[in-house]
Amino acid sequence: MNSSDNSYAQANQTLYNHNQAKDNCGFGLITQLDGIQSHQLIQTSITALIRMTHRGAISSDGLTGDGCGLQIQLSDNFFQNTAKELNFNIGSRYAIGQIFLSQNKTKRVFARQILEEELEKETLSIAGWRIVPVDTSTCGEVAKKSQPNIQQVFIRAPDGWSKHDLERRLFIARRRAADRIKNDQDYYVVSLSCLVIVYKGLVMPKYLSKFYKDLSDERMQSAICLFHQRFSTNTAPLWKYAQPFRFLAHNGEINTINANRNWSIARQNKLYSPLLPDLPKLSHLVNQNGSDSSSLDNMLEVLLAGGMDIFRALRLLIPPAWSKQKNMDADLRAFHEFNSMHMEPWDGPAGIVMSNGTQIACTLDRNGLRPARYVITKDRILTVASEIGVWDYDEADVIEKDRVGPGEMLAADTSTGQIWRTNKIDDMLKNRYPYLEWLRENTIKLKSNSLVEEIAAKKFIDEKLAELPVFEKMFNVSIEEKEQVIRVLANDSQEATSSMGDDTPVAVLSQKQRNLFDYFRQQFAQVTNPPIDPLRETSVMSLETCFGREHNVFQEANGLAHRVIVNEPVVNFAKYLQLKKLNQTHYQFQTLSMSYPLSDSLEDALTRLCEKAIELVQKGCVILHLTDRILSKETLPIQSVLATGAIHQALIRNGLRCDTNIFVETGTTRDSHHFAVLLGVGATAIYPYLSMQLINQMYEDDLLETDLLSARKNYLKGINKGLLKIMSKMGISTVASYRSAQLFEAVGLDRSICNKCFPDIQSRISGATFKDLERDAKLLALNAWRPHVKPSRQGQLKYVHGGEYHCYNPDVVTLLQKAVNSGEYSDYQKYSEVVNNRNIATIRDMFKLKINDPNHLLDKSSNSDAGNVDKIESILKRFDSAGMSIGALSPEAHESLAVAMNTIGGRSNSGEGGEDPTRFNSLKNSKIKQVASGRFGVSAQYLASAEVLQIKVAQGAKPGEGGQLPGAKVTLEIAKLRNATPGVTLISPPPHHDIYSIEDLAQLIFDLKQVNPRALISVKLVSGPGVGTIAAGVAKAYADMITIAGHDGGTGASPLTSVKYAGTPWELGLSEAHQALVENGLRDRICLQVDGGLKTGLDVVKGAILGADSFGFGTGPMVALGCKFLRICHLNNCATGIATQNKILRDNHFSGLPEKVINYFQFVALEVQNLLKKVGVNSVDKLIGRVDLLEIIEGQTSKQEHLDLQVILNSSKRPNNEMAHYKNKRNTPFDIGKLNQKILQDYKESNGASSKKTYQIKNYDRSVGASLSGYLGLLENENESEHAIKQKYIINFKGVAGQSFGVWNHSLLTLNLTGDANDYVGKGMSGGQINIRPNENIQYVASRGAIIGNTCLYGATGGELFAGGQAGERFAVRNSGAISCVEGVGDHGCEYMTGGTVVVLGPVGENFAAGMTGGTAIILDIRERLQRKVNLEHVEVFELATPECEDYIDLLKDIIEKHIISTNSPWAKKISDNFEHYLNYFMLVIPKESSSLSQFIPKTDKLITNLRVVK
Amino acid sequence: MKKVSKTTCESSKNIDILKDPLNYISISSQRPSKVIAESRKTNFNEIYIKPSDEHIKKQSSRCLDCGNPYCEWKCPLHNIIPNWLELSKNGQFEKAAELMHETNPLPEICGRVCPQDRLCEQACTLETGFGAVTIGDVEKQISDKALANNWRPDLSNVKKLNKKVAVIGAGPAGIGCAELLARNGVDVTVYDRYPEIGGLLTFGIPGFKLEKEVIRKRRKFLEDIGITFKLNVEVGNDIKIEDIQKAFDSVFLGLGCYTSLDGELKGKKSKGVINALDYLIGNVYQQEKFNIKTIQSTDQYNYKNLKGKNVLVLGGGDTAMDCVRSAVRQNASKVTCVYRRDKHSMPGSPREVENAIEEGVEFIFNHQPTEILSNNNIVNGVNFDLASDDTSKKNNSNIIDADVVIIAFGFAASPSSWFSDIGLRTKANGLLDMSKGPLTNIENLFAGGDMVSGADLVVTAIAQGRDAATEILNSFG
Repeated sequence: MNSSDNSYAQANQTLYNHNQAKDNCGFGLITQLDGIQSHQLIQTSITALIRMTHRGAISSDGLTGDGCGLQIQLSDNFFQNTAKELNFNIGSRYAIGQIFLSQNKTKRVFARQILEEELEKETLSIAGWRIVPVDTSTCGEVAKKSQPNIQQVFIRAPDGWSKHDLERRLFIARRRAADRIKNDQDYYVVSLSCLVIVYKGLVMPKYLSKFYKDLSDERMQSAICLFHQRFSTNTAPLWKYAQPFRFLAHNGEINTINANRNWSIARQNKLYSPLLPDLPKLSHLVNQNGSDSSSLDNMLEVLLAGGMDIFRALRLLIPPAWSKQKNMDADLRAFHEFNSMHMEPWDGPAGIVMSNGTQIACTLDRNGLRPARYVITKDRILTVASEIGVWDYDEADVIEKDRVGPGEMLAADTSTGQIWRTNKIDDMLKNRYPYLEWLRENTIKLKSNSLVEEIAAKKFIDEKLAELPVFEKMFNVSIEEKEQVIRVLANDSQEATSSMGDDTPVAVLSQKQRNLFDYFRQQFAQVTNPPIDPLRETSVMSLETCFGREHNVFQEANGLAHRVIVNEPVVNFAKYLQLKKLNQTHYQFQTLSMSYPLSDSLEDALTRLCEKAIELVQKGCVILHLTDRILSKETLPIQSVLATGAIHQALIRNGLRCDTNIFVETGTTRDSHHFAVLLGVGATAIYPYLSMQLINQMYEDDLLETDLLSARKNYLKGINKGLLKIMSKMGISTVASYRSAQLFEAVGLDRSICNKCFPDIQSRISGATFKDLERDAKLLALNAWRPHVKPSRQGQLKYVHGGEYHCYNPDVVTLLQKAVNSGEYSDYQKYSEVVNNRNIATIRDMFKLKINDPNHLLDKSSNSDAGNVDKIESILKRFDSAGMSIGALSPEAHESLAVAMNTIGGRSNSGEGGEDPTRFNSLKNSKIKQVASGRFGVSAQYLASAEVLQIKVAQGAKPGEGGQLPGAKVTLEIAKLRNATPGVTLISPPPHHDIYSIEDLAQLIFDLKQVNPRALISVKLVSGPGVGTIAAGVAKAYADMITIAGHDGGTGASPLTSVKYAGTPWELGLSEAHQALVENGLRDRICLQVDGGLKTGLDVVKGAILGADSFGFGTGPMVALGCKFLRICHLNNCATGIATQNKILRDNHFSGLPEKVINYFQFVALEVQNLLKKVGVNSVDKLIGRVDLLEIIEGQTSKQEHLDLQVILNSSKRPNNEMAHYKNKRNTPFDIGKLNQKILQDYKESNGASSKKTYQIKNYDRSVGASLSGYLGLLENENESEHAIKQKYIINFKGVAGQSFGVWNHSLLTLNLTGDANDYVGKGMSGGQINIRPNENIQYVASRGAIIGNTCLYGATGGELFAGGQAGERFAVRNSGAISCVEGVGDHGCEYMTGGTVVVLGPVGENFAAGMTGGTAIILDIRERLQRKVNLEHVEVFELATPECEDYIDLLKDIIEKHIISTNSPWAKKISDNFEHYLNYFMLVIPKESSSLSQFIPKTDKLITNLRVVK
Repeated sequence: MKKVSKTTCESSKNIDILKDPLNYISISSQRPSKVIAESRKTNFNEIYIKPSDEHIKKQSSRCLDCGNPYCEWKCPLHNIIPNWLELSKNGQFEKAAELMHETNPLPEICGRVCPQDRLCEQACTLETGFGAVTIGDVEKQISDKALANNWRPDLSNVKKLNKKVAVIGAGPAGIGCAELLARNGVDVTVYDRYPEIGGLLTFGIPGFKLEKEVIRKRRKFLEDIGITFKLNVEVGNDIKIEDIQKAFDSVFLGLGCYTSLDGELKGKKSKGVINALDYLIGNVYQQEKFNIKTIQSTDQYNYKNLKGKNVLVLGGGDTAMDCVRSAVRQNASKVTCVYRRDKHSMPGSPREVENAIEEGVEFIFNHQPTEILSNNNIVNGVNFDLASDDTSKKNNSNIIDADVVIIAFGFAASPSSWFSDIGLRTKANGLLDMSKGPLTNIENLFAGGDMVSGADLVVTAIAQGRDAATEILNSFG
């Protein structure tokens, strides 16, 4: 490419990438278990699809769906007849291909020809092509534009071939054809099979059978229907991305997709099946972009075509959590362990239904993050779907009803009519081969050896550690890092907590030499997939790492289990030595030094290193040991991450990666992020010799609180914990699926570096080149060998003189405080000058505002309204304060902020800590109410008091993690607001347990809009790659406002590595989101807000130009209130009385008058106004997207010079149409919530008097009750005590309730439901009662199956829930006051519970009561398995049948009686009638005694105290 | 060296309070107590009483370890204050002392003479509302302790560089430079015309602020780490600069500022008018019985006994305070300090003013001296203009009687005659005209301290000396 082309390409590059579309959905299957085909079944499936329309999304044209489809059996009846009509001779053995072809005739003809050629190579003959009859009138404009030409190819096979033979040949022909048809984006084989056919497209479910006339043809019959309804984040979805794919339909997202795709390339050489001789010749096994689900489908079809059965294939791809499951059978574990040596898990939130035409299966991932409910009726029809009640079967016909749990599998064979449940499948699999024996014979587990460790602890680099400073300086270890990172890990095995976020420049902008790892920003899950919880749900996670040569997955044999297993990828010295000394036949160990002569260039050195690595592996090296331990003045070390990445890639390219393992011995890795990056770019395991030596030195220097061996152990333990956390941020459970996944964004690395070393890591603004990095390394080396230069203090965490620049350095803080105290604009100007003229510290500092001649522009230009610049008041309306909870802040500071924001006409944000209802109708009301994952204090009344409801999906300082409030700050007052236990640290779950995917978010938004229709719904996202895609999806989920937070957000308390390494600058995310919204035609209905380090009017103006309508300020107003940036918020001792609950500090030392904040914002607004005048634009609205007003300035360093910032400006460009900014349009959902409207109207008409009326309810009636609850909350807020409504109101329902039944239920409301309910029953309920009972005269045993779905009672603060059956996963998570009785719960029940009482009259799933710090759970444990199911970290378990528990027994009796009255449960009755017998099986689960409790509560709960005395 | 922290922290009751994040409220800021004014007036001994270790730990533990360490930011040397306070809190005094020496070769002296109430302690977050951490006192106590225990940095790993550097002037700048060089394996020789090291620290600051024994201990320390001092040697007189240049790889100049400003007052030549510095140096010479023959104009530093005199000191800085308090100790009949602006505007340390007041010094503010009055060329008073906000009331004047007038208006550069011989460039005000950082316009000739930046704080001079040392080391590779 010549240079002009290059610059052209650059000039048009933008940030938002359409290909990043993510999808989620509703899915299901219906099958007649005995294989009796009918047309009826197809019609029922389409009904089911229609009933799940709300789980999909609709395009802006109102007609185009995001895609839906059916996979059905190839209907002989239909196709034989059709062939006859068309005179196609297909014989008895035939296959049909459903093909999307290009509308372009040449391309179409070409594609057909190639496919025919490839099919004929397999000795198949083409009987003919049929144009599939479609009715395009059902399509929306968007769908029509991209609609392919749809044809079916009829293929005749020689008689006598088995169907499986035919399938394999079709597969290989199709894959070969695909490799040849490269330049046709439309060509896509929907299905090509003799067993199944798929009909799918971008139509709404209700039009599917109209569009495909075949589907409404009575002759079309099937006994199996898979169906799928898609929600894509992209508003211009593609036809081929609709599901089902050829084998499966998937609800969720494969979080591990990057690693899976990479390893599929690396492993291709290793796969061999005599059935598929052409396999190695295919260009790739799975597609490398496009939908994650389709890649999974690809892998599955390779495995199946290669001869694997669906059971092993699915268990191999999506294994349950096995490595930490102590309850698991040893043979079964061995089966999974053997599998794990061949394939990393394809994990994600995944609900999968699949079929090969005769067998069907449904499986859930290990976390069970997607719902799957099933029903079997008398006529042997099995329905599995995301929701229950998707078609109207007769309740009396139901013979079984339940759900598929995490890691479980449900399968059936329609040829035999057999149903296979998890246990049966597992038993069959584990007994096929003696896996356990194989493992015992051939697998070595590396163990720590304390003797060896003791030797290592003494000396390694050299005895006196005299050379240590050279290493420290060479690898840029700062004193600060030693103290704040390594020492803390060594002492506490836990990384340090910090606060106030990161206010330093990103690495590429820094004037200092920064570690290469600093350029990598961790990716994190938001909205389309959830983070998982490494604290409470660690049981599903694993760091197990395998050494040894990989073998063929298709072969299961003894000799293929030669593996060395270590528990963690970060090894200690003992394991390092053991690795070195393994049997060299199987584990040849070769060392490669990562250093190169000074005369060489870094880039060439890397190339040479890769060549050497390839040579070694070709010669049989199995453990490739890379080291940077040999330093000399004549050489420079290659950064371990570059070396590892480049070698990993080179080995993959050469098909060698799976023959070897990359073991890195390095001084560069010190904190958990460093290790994560190395693993992410391909390292197998790491030995951090320098960190260990530094710990030795600290011990010598008497700086540790523990002995040396423990310190070394602690450090590694802490690092491993950190790794789990980083993996969990992306929702990844196992390190095998994290390795090589490259889940980072490079901010400021030259693209050529990424291309060479980690091609999947995006570097959107390019940046530092190999030369720049080399220059840094040389500088470090120069000082390293200079004894007089001390290791630097760097000052990246805290300001130090001469260290890294801090945006809130002492000068800035003091000047701002002076200005707000004096109220003089001239003082403010001194502050803003210091900020606006600082050295380049943020990306926006590299954009200079083009100031036009200040005197004439606005006044003289004819077309602008002369001088009619936005008023200060209207500018102030655009300012919000960022979410800071009461709890993190003192009530005084929180109120002061609210008063200030309300006074200036902006909005303050409650944060996630609730708010005292007395504030709701006053100047102290926070107009923005936050809904975060902890759901603290979120009640109907709280929600009703808001102008904006903000869903905090992620937080700038620590995306992928929940908020935390240290115990010291949980005073009696705060605990009351949050319904929590005083003195106990509150950690919000990393995910919202009701948002695991985009359709879940849509549901939460729907909930909120039902409860408070007046409020704007805002979603807070953190800037990261793909945030544009997510923003578009969020807009499609009907949010009204999106906040893009930068990585530099402040926080009350946050782990150090999260502050430093996650999230990206908002400049990137904002412009990407702006572009995505503009391109998708959604910009005018979304108010786009930016948040992160905004300090002055210039920041606001630049933010507006880059696309923001509104501006969030966090730290600025804090400093105005008096915050001195002490970074001690987490210690509750804030000397300025702001971030503390201490009475003395609040009363005597808080001086944060609202006036100071008002002054600050008025200054900022005034500066904005002045700047508007200077640039000659009269309103902020008109400024949005005016990138022509910015110019990119020259960088101050070579690295800055190499940045490509034009992409940001290109992305933010103002469109020519009307949709350039937010126009106060409401983003109204298509679902108007009919039933809710009716209930509300009836309530108003009856004046609050209950009627006996029963409402019919179906699964599409969602959030039922919310509108009335919200209305009652509003009345409460408005009327206060005067007309207080007191009358209880009872509503009866019959049918299947949709999601969120009784969400935020108001205390006056009782909902009675006869039937079933879906997910989120009683979510956030704040009072009243919800009773759910099965129909009368049912045939199934209600207590043995699920009657309500997942995540019920999540964040409930009060009320009562009785359900006459079992509940799904995550029951009563974060319950803080509700009382409930159910007859069984799934995994993770009562997680994070802080109050209330839960009675379970049946089995509980894994990980019960994890992180439960308050409340009571009473479990009927008939099978005596509870001890193994409970997570004992925070709770203890007692037998109830002891005299000390008398009070609890009374409580239990009460609840059971109520349960019987409310649900009529026969099971409960039986228990009640024989109470004395059952009492012996009841167990009590309560939180452990906490020493910090006593200081807050004068008298501890009598019940508990009594109990403990006895114990 | 082993496990100091564990044994010294054993007094278990204190562990809790030391670790309590809120102890900065429960423990009040407590400066060391002073000898009562009546008895301290009788001698030139230091006035602060040594506190207990417990006290030091407690006071250190009040540090919040702020995200923005304002103390460190304000300190010209950017001492790593929060870090050594942490060590001190844990009773790891020697480690704390070691850390102090990382940035400052004279912590025990800075702890005594720095105006902390204008620098670190004033900037301390706790200063508003709680009372600052007593940084200066901790610094002094801990470094005293280390020196008393004969603590020396471990230089066993330092390789000799086989480089020689001459430092001219043993004041704060010179010591700052010499110490850093010596620690890094350079052979350093320091020349000074005075009989003791320290420059103005030793000769300009009275014993009640800095006992001379402290300086002697420090000299011992510096000699122990390998510095050679050649005292009583005046460059240009006793030894030629060119010879030094020839004999050494690099030379550092830290000659200070010695020319007293006199404000061009009428009558300044009258008998009984004394320059502050001459007065203070004379005093030290007399007390320490130094041999004064090496100093050229010998009568300049003659001892002046002000017993029974009515002494008027003009000026409001730290030097003025040193003069008034010295005069009090000489039993002057009356000592008055007159400053041209208000109390709040005084440039020196407010604590020194308080000490002076306690010791009976009278202060008169807003008086601008216009003329020294005399009878027979013997001083008998000073005429002042009264500064007033009210411009209409100009020309109000006031005469104050005096037997002795000490002028403490500050100092200007005092370039040596040999500067021009070797072509060393100065600016119009006599300060050196530097070329690049601490490098003068002459190759391998570095400079720092007051002679570069004008009369300033001790810490500023040290900082410049250290910067020069770093540059010199860098120039060695």
